[in-house]
Amino acid sequence: MELLHRLSTRSPWLFRINAGSCNGCDVELATTACISRYDVERLGCKYCGSPRHADIVLITGSLTTRVKDKVLRVWNEIPNPKVTVAVGICPITGGVFREGYSIEGPLDRYLPIDVNVPGCPPRPQSIMEGVLEAVAIWRERMEG
Amino acid sequence: MLDILIGILHLVVFPGGVFALGLGLFLKGLDRRVEARLQRRIGPPLIQPVLDIAKLCTKEVIIPSSAMRTLFLAAPVIALGGIGVCAALLPVPGVTDGLPRIGDMLVIFYLFPLPAMAVMLAGSSSGSVYGGIGFSREMVLMLAYEVPLLVIILTVAMKVGAATGGGAEFSLTQIMAYQQEHGSFGFSLTMLPALVAWLMFLPATMGVPPFDQPEAETEILEGPLLEYSGVLLALFNLASAVKLVVVLGLGVVLFFPGTLMDGGTALGMAVNLVWFVVKCVVFMVLTLSLVKSATGRFRIEQALSFFLKYPTGLALLSLALVWIGC
Repeated sequence: MELLHRLSTRSPWLFRINAGSCNGCDVELATTACISRYDVERLGCKYCGSPRHADIVLITGSLTTRVKDKVLRVWNEIPNPKVTVAVGICPITGGVFREGYSIEGPLDRYLPIDVNVPGCPPRPQSIMEGVLEAVAIWRERMEG
Repeated sequence: MLDILIGILHLVVFPGGVFALGLGLFLKGLDRRVEARLQRRIGPPLIQPVLDIAKLCTKEVIIPSSAMRTLFLAAPVIALGGIGVCAALLPVPGVTDGLPRIGDMLVIFYLFPLPAMAVMLAGSSSGSVYGGIGFSREMVLMLAYEVPLLVIILTVAMKVGAATGGGAEFSLTQIMAYQQEHGSFGFSLTMLPALVAWLMFLPATMGVPPFDQPEAETEILEGPLLEYSGVLLALFNLASAVKLVVVLGLGVVLFFPGTLMDGGTALGMAVNLVWFVVKCVVFMVLTLSLVKSATGRFRIEQALSFFLKYPTGLALLSLALVWIGC
């Protein structure tokens, strides 16, 4: 069983949720995957299209009023065990949009966030560090 | 009695079952690795597909409340079961002659679409809109690529049949034996158009770009597989791995069944097996990995008209050449 857990943490599938982001962090997430220098696939990661396939959720954006319910619904569709990563300053504090009339964030009012990756946008290196930290949490969660 | 035992051996150990799963997962890992190297990335380890399967087994299985429960659960089993039997019928040149009594191209032709059918069932029973779109796209694509496949199979059968006494010869064992004696069809000018058509058919049946419309993750979020999670998704992945072995192996048998050594001895069999794997790898890298990393995605109607024009046309050209006795 422990072996299975150890093997499975080498295959973290990533799923991106855009909770009203300006797209800056999303571009950085794509960079992390596509540019040979940062290649997350060598850690076994894969960006998947469906929330049902996901293990690690990367949420960007400051959670606007319009997407709030949809984000929560999609998050609930992800099978357990899952780890949630907030990418960028927006989901953590609201960023430059924090006092806007349409901002419902910060995100941890609604969802349990496991890892924060601050930055506007965060560098690919720190996104990868966040993913690795999420993998460690995932492993603990499976064993616990 | 012995027949049944041999059949079970073929189904469980070699060339179906353990061998097909192992080779399929290895090829999938190699495919991801090659694609990464082509994009100057490092890429995942070779055993990544195995890790993915292990991971999926630890995940929660969610069955959506809007899904048709029985069909939803049955679809992955049908996919793996159908293609597993198909793999058991496959002869490996110089190692095994397959199951001559039932190892027939027509049987394979009927069993072969089962994974695609299962994907269609999955899409239509999952109760998701994207699943429905994926279902319809899968059906269109299947109609498109089954036509050239049938013509190619008929061409090979006619060619062997004409040489061995009229009619069409559908037995894979006979086709393999004929080519080992008279030279592979892959090097014959008459069969060249059919070979090219076969190479075009491979990416469509494996659902990789430019023919990945049914599972286009950027448009319809993996389509029919959208609602699958955990073990059920793992079954679909295993079915896809076995299917990869079946299509590549069938290509090897139909066009390049040459062997390096006589298959009588253990050493000869081992060498021939490695040679078979090498041919599968070359086929895969040329038609799947390279094409995948160099192309985008066709629209579904473009894929349909492409298949009804070029591969079907090429295969028909070969059929006509065989017909007039070239």
